[in-house]
Amino acid sequence: MSFFRLDPITRKRIRRFRQQRIGFYALILLSLMTIASLFSNFIANNRAIAVRYEGEWYFPTFKFHPSSTFKQEDPYGDSEADYRLLAKSAEGTGNWVLMPPIQFNPYENDFDFYDDPPPHPPDKRHLLGTDDKGRDVFARLLYGLRISMLFSLMLVLLGTIIGVAVGSAQGYFAGWFDLLSQRVIEIWSTLPLLYVVVLLGTMFRPTFFMLLFILLLFQWYSITYYMRTELYREKSREYVQAARSMGASHFRIIFRHLLPNAIVPIVTFTPFAVVGGIFLLTALDYLGYGLPAPTPSWGQLIDQALESSNRGKLWLSLSPFCAITTTLVLVTLIGEGIREAFDPKPWSQYR
Amino acid sequence: MTAPLLDVRNLVKRYPVRGGVFARKRGEVHAVEDVSFFIEKGETLGLVGESGCGKSTLGRAIIRLEDATSGSITFDGEDLLALPSRELFDRRRHLQMIFQDPYSSLNPRMTVGEIVREPLIIHRSGSRREQHEEVSALLEKVGMKAEMIDRYPHEFSGGQRQRIGIARALALKPSFIIADEPISALDVSVQAQVLNLMVSLQRELNLTYLFISHDLTVVEYISDRIAVMYLGRIVEIGPTHVIFNSPAHPYTRSLIDAAPVRDPRLRGIAEPIRGETPSPINPPPGCTFHPRCPFAIPRCREVVPPLESHETSGHRVACIRKDEIVGELKRPMAVSASD
Repeated sequence: MSFFRLDPITRKRIRRFRQQRIGFYALILLSLMTIASLFSNFIANNRAIAVRYEGEWYFPTFKFHPSSTFKQEDPYGDSEADYRLLAKSAEGTGNWVLMPPIQFNPYENDFDFYDDPPPHPPDKRHLLGTDDKGRDVFARLLYGLRISMLFSLMLVLLGTIIGVAVGSAQGYFAGWFDLLSQRVIEIWSTLPLLYVVVLLGTMFRPTFFMLLFILLLFQWYSITYYMRTELYREKSREYVQAARSMGASHFRIIFRHLLPNAIVPIVTFTPFAVVGGIFLLTALDYLGYGLPAPTPSWGQLIDQALESSNRGKLWLSLSPFCAITTTLVLVTLIGEGIREAFDPKPWSQYR
Repeated sequence: MTAPLLDVRNLVKRYPVRGGVFARKRGEVHAVEDVSFFIEKGETLGLVGESGCGKSTLGRAIIRLEDATSGSITFDGEDLLALPSRELFDRRRHLQMIFQDPYSSLNPRMTVGEIVREPLIIHRSGSRREQHEEVSALLEKVGMKAEMIDRYPHEFSGGQRQRIGIARALALKPSFIIADEPISALDVSVQAQVLNLMVSLQRELNLTYLFISHDLTVVEYISDRIAVMYLGRIVEIGPTHVIFNSPAHPYTRSLIDAAPVRDPRLRGIAEPIRGETPSPINPPPGCTFHPRCPFAIPRCREVVPPLESHETSGHRVACIRKDEIVGELKRPMAVSASD
């Protein structure tokens, strides 16, 4: 489909982006981080990745196996198998257990191992320590990256689709539709996001998709300003008039001619929009109006770290701080690289 | 005599001037005012005038890129302004347009092949394979190599791009082509090539042209007849040699005198035209040319002069004093029509 086909201008921009090595490497690094977080269940989990037990294979990552399966002692009768214990007891028996590198999941309270109450500082068992409920901080960071990245990507994707559709319609059809919808957007955009979210947060307990929907209400219109003017400009160009004079349909003119020429620069906004979404979610989690309680999130970690009883427990504040800083730096480098690749003046480079 | 291919009657195009919070109408731009003319099959009508006189708007109204305010446009026996959209779509293949700016008239993200093929796709003409062959044939017809089919517009010069635009206009085998300043954006050295291409294509394909330009020498070269526009109205229309040898409207006379002359000794003795073009929002009353006309009399600001026959057949002039000033305008030509 020609919409995504690489014409020479796009190809040149990609080449120039790759030449700005820093931005390119930052993109690779951030992609690796994101992909790793998508596989969190295989990296930080109390379930084994693979178990060979008495001649049978088990892959318990997404499947519940009661402790009786592995003939473990179980005072409750039907609780889940303890794979950490299984891994220890399997040595030398011909059975075999492959555990993830981090042997804890982000919801698990590791109380029994320690004598003192959590939070525990980093040690061999928990690389970044545990939080005040005994949960592994690294696991929570990793799962937190996944949920905020997915949340933000969905927010930006949906917001861009709606914004591009509305902005294009405004710019293309112009007239009264543009005039009215632009006034509506201007009024809508004066609604304060934080107050509305806090207000709704006190009325409902927001779920993932509800929060996504609420934030989408405040996200979609920012791109319409850009698309609207871009289509106003592009549609007056002669190639569009040539298409009209041939009898091309509105659909064809918009999708074949206007959008391919107007939409590409949106790429330059995307990294900043994604990181904006991550920080918005972090901020809301920090304030307690984000995702509901047990969900692993960076904002919730910062909130914990700032509680008076946790003062001086630096692993709680430093780890989300480093995670946020790393993400921000990487995205800024990517955004700067893309901006440079799109710059029509090749000599105005910021290094 | 058979009916002309294109017959435009009393065409009016006005643009509202809006302002304020609720975009109230504040006035109107009189872009095209009561224009009537016809074009016979196979001929070329040159349309000249200063920039902003409405000549491009007229062309765009004929091809329905602009909706005319009133009037009728009869093409091949059918009124384009009254046709339902489905039939208008079918008519469009017979009317095509060549645009002024070869840099913005081709979509930068489409290959040459896609650009030339697009009208065939829109009008579902032929299979994929036939369309591809047709595109190659069209490119060769306009003097380009068929191998260039997968290249992008930015790889070509202005003249080559304009050839691509011509190939696109020819794709649906139209009978009538509106050329809106097709060569004024090109280098002088390339202008002649493209102009000659248009002439030979006309002969080969029996095309009818409406050739819009501000350049008199170009229009003189290609046109069978010439229409002169001033502030939205046709002030004079007639066969090319008549317009150039015995112009009957003072505006035409001054346009001809204003054209650059190769030999300074042949330069016209006429004074250059005075003043600025008046605003089309508030055009002067009566004859719109009277504020700048050296022959204006008080009556000129009272009546709008009708376009009336004058001396030779087919020569029509909109000037109430045309018979009185004939002698004044028939000075020796500064540029002879034949050199």
